Amino acid sequence: MNNIVLKTKGLTKYYGGTLAVDHMDLEIPRGCICGFVGRNGAGKTTAIKLMLGLLNPTAGSSRLLGCDSSALTPAIRQRIGYVTEGHRLFRWMNIGGLEKFQRAFFPKQWDDRFFADMIEYFELSKKQKIKHLSNGQRAQVSLALALAPNPELLIMDDPTLGLDAAIRRQFLEGMIELIMRQGRTVLFSSHILGDVERVSDRIVVIDKGVLRANCSLEQFQKAIKKVILSFADSVPDLVNIDGVLHCKRSEKQLELTLVGTDDEKISEWAKSAGAENYNIIKMNLEDQFIEFTAPANDRRLFQWEER
Amino acid sequence: MPLWIQILPGSDEPIYIQVTEQISKAIARGELASGDKLPAVRKLASELVINPNTVARAYSRLEQAGLVTTKTGSGTFVTDPKLRKTDAADINMLTERMDTLITRGLNLGIEAQDLIRLFENRLTKFSDKLNERKEEK
Repeated sequence: MNNIVLKTKGLTKYYGGTLAVDHMDLEIPRGCICGFVGRNGAGKTTAIKLMLGLLNPTAGSSRLLGCDSSALTPAIRQRIGYVTEGHRLFRWMNIGGLEKFQRAFFPKQWDDRFFADMIEYFELSKKQKIKHLSNGQRAQVSLALALAPNPELLIMDDPTLGLDAAIRRQFLEGMIELIMRQGRTVLFSSHILGDVERVSDRIVVIDKGVLRANCSLEQFQKAIKKVILSFADSVPDLVNIDGVLHCKRSEKQLELTLVGTDDEKISEWAKSAGAENYNIIKMNLEDQFIEFTAPANDRRLFQWEER
Repeated sequence: MPLWIQILPGSDEPIYIQVTEQISKAIARGELASGDKLPAVRKLASELVINPNTVARAYSRLEQAGLVTTKTGSGTFVTDPKLRKTDAADINMLTERMDTLITRGLNLGIEAQDLIRLFENRLTKFSDKLNERKEEK
């Protein structure tokens, strides 16, 4: 069995003159839950649609389960689940009708019992029409439809957008439940870093269409840190340490955000730069993400000034 | 005894560390005694709604620290304290942590004598539970 379930090579998409996805080389191994994060407009939805063959790339290619995304065969499609952003379902159908419709695409592995149990758990009935459901209930139906075929690869585009904490948790539980089965892989995009942290063991960061990180969550959390150095007289002009993402100076203090610089290197540099002391500050995932995707100019929306 | 673990996403401690530390604490307080079985990785992952690899990572750290032993096929068990080994690095790490606490205490203006009393108070909280456990058995 191939252990790379998703692979893109130089994947690029222009909308007119606007570059949405920029030469993306991505590989996702089998068996992980991968959180796909990036700011609004970073290109997540476009990337997902390219992967699923719903959009044609301007250049480059993408493969899912070893098959080119632009030519996915019905046999391959049966092994892939996809949840669209906003849980768009046919509004005129009822839940039972939608199940029948969806099951036709997954004739071999649709789990009727599992679907029925989920619908019951959500206190819904198969007779209910989609158009009469709330946003949360529609999301729950969409989750049941995504899990019932027991997909080998599940791709979800911001599935928890606008949902309450309880329904969001149900999506996380669904992902954990799926991943416990042998050889399953989940890729989901989200803006809620706490959710990503909870269920993912892998993180993919995209910024302005460019792939910025694709590693284990643990590696990502270990790699990004902040160091504050104090100097007796003044901050040195030259900050020649590897991995500087941001550098903020005040009269006697230097604040560095570093990527992939180990603590020993920091200690060595602090000594050679003549710092009086320094402090390595651990950051939470959200702060790490914000710093990692912030432009390098270090301007803030509201700059506090001493008067 | 049920094991109560709380997961705090958004903390500066990664989740596998949160799990490791809470189980370590439960062992230190005697809530988990020597020979007790930890929940299966998949069961705990499902209950806490966290990635099974995260739980496995926490268990392997506990095993490295000598607090638990995994027996293939039957599960992960709390190690007998007599069999746990302490080396110089562990003692060093402990001293460093104590230094941090002492610094904070002194900076708050707490007298040395009061700090010692505070420390003893906390220690009895742990040993009381340990004794209770022993009596139960």
